[in-house]
Amino acid sequence: MAVSYEHRLLFRHEGPLDMEVLPIMVRNLEKLLGEEGIRPPLRRKVVSSLIELAQNIIHYAVPHEKYPPLISVVRTEEGILLTTRNLVYYSQEIFLQSYLQNLLAMSREELEQFHRATLTSGSYSDSGGANLGLMQVILKADRVEYELTSAEAEYAWFTLKAFFSLEKP
Amino acid sequence: MSDLKTSEKLIIEPTFTTPEIIFDPSANRFFIGGNSYPENSIKFYSPVLAWLEQFVQRHTPRPEPLVLEVKLEYFNTSTAKVLLDLFRHFEALYEKGQPVQIRWVFLEEDTEMEDAGLDYQAAVKVPFELVPVNEPEA
Repeated sequence: MAVSYEHRLLFRHEGPLDMEVLPIMVRNLEKLLGEEGIRPPLRRKVVSSLIELAQNIIHYAVPHEKYPPLISVVRTEEGILLTTRNLVYYSQEIFLQSYLQNLLAMSREELEQFHRATLTSGSYSDSGGANLGLMQVILKADRVEYELTSAEAEYAWFTLKAFFSLEKP
Repeated sequence: MSDLKTSEKLIIEPTFTTPEIIFDPSANRFFIGGNSYPENSIKFYSPVLAWLEQFVQRHTPRPEPLVLEVKLEYFNTSTAKVLLDLFRHFEALYEKGQPVQIRWVFLEEDTEMEDAGLDYQAAVKVPFELVPVNEPEA
């Protein structure tokens, strides 16, 4: 039976995520992408985006036993699709909505300028990143989409899809 | 750290998420390499920044250049912020009259790393060299 490239799952993690699990995921994904023949520059884009998104989940996602975070990596004919999904509080939903809308409306040049300005501004978030993580993923990926959908009580699901084209290095 | 002499070394062994750091003034070797995506970069790098702060205060400029080599594979955005603080200390040394050079070593085709290096090059006022290297595909 031929396996279609359309949705070939390379990697999937659904469960608790912490700094013990993340390095294992990084090594596994590096290896899997290498076995797929993905060249180092693209591999690094995907893996470094995974690190940013996973660390956002570790720092900001609602830890919920029933609804753990999900990370998946799918090989398509055109490239690699990295998806993360996690639970956030309603207050975070409002922030993410406006923050991502602003970032995604920017041209690449504007985004690069904003990134440089944030990097040199001297302000830090609790974990030290000053919200640069999502910006970095948008800069690295060829296409980013997100979705915020209602979950139970005061929560919402935050899904982010970052697509990396094989055509670019 | 209160009695740091400029000859004292700072050596931090690498882990999967934190880099190897070698600051050895007597051997003129300043190196940061490997991965840097600790859970809390501020916490991880605070002793490094504290060491550098004292080093800058006590260092007497000498003619031979002080070279910092940075060769990172993966680094997260919180590390990106802290690296700039770290480079500022080398900038302070440069302003004191110490010749300084920062070498940003990256994989030849890794445009992301190259761009990051260019950002730092534009942000700091010390000679900052981008050094592309070839590495095997595997």
